[in-house]
Amino acid sequence: MENILTANDLTKKYKSDAVVNRINLQIPRGAVYGFLGPNGAGKTTTIRMLLGLIKPSHGSISVFGKDLRKNRIEALKEIGALVENPSYYGHLNAIENLEVYRVLRKAPKSKIKEVLEIVGLEKAAKKKVKEYSLGMKQRLGIAIALLGDPKLLILDEPTNGLDPQGILEIRTLIKSLAKERGITIIVSSHLLSEIDQMATYVGIISKGRLIFQNRIEELRRFASASVSFTTSSPEETFKHIVSYGIQAYREEEKIMVEAEDEAIAKVISLLVRHGISIYRVEENKKSLEDIFLDLIKEEGTNVQSTFKSRIS
Amino acid sequence: MYKALLKAEFLKIKRKWIWGLVFLGPFGVIALEALNFGLRYDYLTDLYKDDLWKGLIGEANMLSVFALMLGATLVASLISSLEHQSTSWKHLLSLPLSKTKIFMGKFSLAFILLTTSCILLAIGIVILGISLGFGTDISIALLLKTCFYPFLAALPVVALQLWLSIVLNNQALPLAIGIVGSIFGGALPRWTIWSWPSLSNQWDKPIINVCLGIVVGLILLGFSTVHFTKKDVNS
Repeated sequence: MENILTANDLTKKYKSDAVVNRINLQIPRGAVYGFLGPNGAGKTTTIRMLLGLIKPSHGSISVFGKDLRKNRIEALKEIGALVENPSYYGHLNAIENLEVYRVLRKAPKSKIKEVLEIVGLEKAAKKKVKEYSLGMKQRLGIAIALLGDPKLLILDEPTNGLDPQGILEIRTLIKSLAKERGITIIVSSHLLSEIDQMATYVGIISKGRLIFQNRIEELRRFASASVSFTTSSPEETFKHIVSYGIQAYREEEKIMVEAEDEAIAKVISLLVRHGISIYRVEENKKSLEDIFLDLIKEEGTNVQSTFKSRIS
Repeated sequence: MYKALLKAEFLKIKRKWIWGLVFLGPFGVIALEALNFGLRYDYLTDLYKDDLWKGLIGEANMLSVFALMLGATLVASLISSLEHQSTSWKHLLSLPLSKTKIFMGKFSLAFILLTTSCILLAIGIVILGISLGFGTDISIALLLKTCFYPFLAALPVVALQLWLSIVLNNQALPLAIGIVGSIFGGALPRWTIWSWPSLSNQWDKPIINVCLGIVVGLILLGFSTVHFTKKDVNS
């Protein structure tokens, strides 16, 4: 698939500290790209570079096949953005806020009504924006981003600080924008669960490095399930299973076995034969969030170990 | 493009008291002069009996220079705070517009607002003079010089204040510099930009201050625009 945006070796250094370290992004056309990472991992800095707000220390960005540095204004015509908290003029109402940006983008007047409908703010359009709830402000931010009929929408933490209802609304909105209008969307978040149900691609950034980038299905494949056994005597259970040649490990009173149908059947008959009472057999599926946290943790320990080896 | 930018800028200051300030500046000067002439009518009309209008314009000038510089400071800060408070810089600068134009749009807005104040001041002086019974024999040239020469000589101050207010998120420093500059401007050495709007120089030729103001103002504007376009947008 063709990439609508690519970043090569993108780096941003403040003094000698690399906040974003040689990351390579590939955003395929039509994707909803979940850009994930804990707070302070470099998400916002990366997004600011993608919008030309910050100059990269190193590396290049190409949008719609053109170099961003040389074609900033051309590229920005096709991009709508919401960076962190939405920018709105509190003393103006939604229509007036949109009018400011409509004039600057030279969009037709009819666009205002259209984007208000898309984000569902028609009823509150005449209310001063400072009286809006956070969710409404966020939706206004998206409406502003949609004014220029963007091909690429960049949303930085659009669900940050919203209640579950608000998160759901934004999620539904993003999904429908991608599906019905074919807009490519980059959406950043520090919670995988928030973008889980809408992202088709995922990029994970940790400590300024991109540690994963692929389809979300690939990430799900890491989600190997295991089955845990709770029995009358964990000690014996573990010994029997291992001596039978099945891989297992103990987690306190539970014995964990990889979730393979044959293996489970064997373990159960084995335990029954040895007269061990089986209290519980449970399947534990790793959630995407667990994988995400594991990936970040791994990255963290790697960094630590290299740091340690450098000292010694 | 500038038309669209200015249209957007004027939309943004709707319902803000920036407009109030534009009127308050000249109104304050006229009100104080009305008080001045009201209280000391006999003394002042005697003092300026050769040319009453010149006297009135001269008296008003002393206050208007201070009001102008203070006004420039406040206008620059207010039109920048508008974007700081709404965290709009990042959004404004991710629009398909050149950064130079965005900066120049702000300067143009400040220029237009301050020009409006100067025009209002001229109108105010005429109304005050007529109501004080000074007749209609007004020296228009002197009136316009008094209202607009200080403004042109104050262009470096306008450019400096706008640059500081836009670049710094915290308005304390630009406001402090602007206020101190407006109060002590006349007392500062002649080479400082704050002393120029008083139009006094050793050759007694106000036009020198005006030319200096325009030239240095444009240079400062050029520098600040370049700095603004090169700067990373972090807030």
